[in-house]
Amino acid sequence: MIYVVVAVAVVIVVVIGVILSKGGSRQEPGVVSFRKHIDALSPEARREVMDRVRPAKRDDEEPKG
Amino acid sequence: MARDLAIDLGTANTLVYMKGKGIVLNEPSVIALNRQTGEVLATGREAWQMIGRTPGYIVAVRPLRGGAITDFEITERMIRLLLQRVGVSRFTRPKVVICVPSAITEVERRAVTDAARRAGAADAQLIEQPMAAAIGADLPIDEPIGNMVIDIGGGTSETAVISLGGIVALEAVRVGSFDIDASIQAYVRREHGIAIGERTAEEVKVAIGSASETEDESQAEVRGRDLMTGLPKTVVLTPEEIRFAIDDVVSSIIASVVRCLAKAPPELAQDFLVRGMYLVGGGGLLRGLAQRIEKETQVPVRMSNMPLEAVVMGAGHCIEHYDALKGMFMGARR
Repeated sequence: MIYVVVAVAVVIVVVIGVILSKGGSRQEPGVVSFRKHIDALSPEARREVMDRVRPAKRDDEEPKG
Repeated sequence: MARDLAIDLGTANTLVYMKGKGIVLNEPSVIALNRQTGEVLATGREAWQMIGRTPGYIVAVRPLRGGAITDFEITERMIRLLLQRVGVSRFTRPKVVICVPSAITEVERRAVTDAARRAGAADAQLIEQPMAAAIGADLPIDEPIGNMVIDIGGGTSETAVISLGGIVALEAVRVGSFDIDASIQAYVRREHGIAIGERTAEEVKVAIGSASETEDESQAEVRGRDLMTGLPKTVVLTPEEIRFAIDDVVSSIIASVVRCLAKAPPELAQDFLVRGMYLVGGGGLLRGLAQRIEKETQVPVRMSNMPLEAVVMGAGHCIEHYDALKGMFMGARR
């Protein structure tokens, strides 16, 4: 009997937790997408493209020099 | 499966960035056609070498003028050939981000996206050139500080103030380095009575053109056709003459920079004095231009590390982070 009560209590806590977490993120979609947008423009995020193009450009220039 | 692409469809040059690979194509935006059959004979560098040197049945044209499509059908064919050359087929349809001047009209916008879709793109999105340039020039546009970028292309010059990932102020004029070449052509015709081609005018600009006085100035010999006799003739041009010839165009570019500065909110304007403005685009390579803008605006001007590639690098970054940055595309904000 006690196991059933504990199991029901755990399920209720999990359900409440899920509802609260979903409710929380639903309130701030703008914050999340703006953060994602800004993070994608950070120097760290841009490093990959810069590193990919700069060595190729240097290779192109070497024969001219 | 084709890799997604970013295209800087410039009036002068077209650059293509492939997701995960880098810049895979960098060529003049020129196409050569058979006038009688309409067949494409050459594109890019090969077609550029034909400008002004073709027999009657061949026409070598730049389908973009002033950053806008002047011939929709030819542009579509050029984009299709570009996509084919980087491995796009009818079975592999990539997403494409195309850089366009911020001042293009709704009709021009639709013309570019339609041309890309018909040429084989699954989805075509547009991004403003100054925004792409600021990303590619590695400016800290993710921070709440004023970043100013001046992009001088073949047909347009755009100045933008960017902060927190968005454009705060923008000013664009349909004047660029091709107008500088045209001014040189017109000057030589008017003052020396000889006709020169657009490629010769460009060579003169590169050799002795400047926006303000510089060290190590020299003269240039130019060959053209005498308008009176029709015979070949050589004249010597001085840097002062070229400065005089191109002054109207340079002044109009600087006036648009000043208008953009005037539009910027005061909180951001103070940042420019410390951080300066960044020059990108082929037109920014004109000797003495940075110094002249600096003198007339009293704001430091810095040259971007890769002025010719900055725009396509910025668009390339958008294709690498497509989902996070799709809010930046032109259609997304309307």
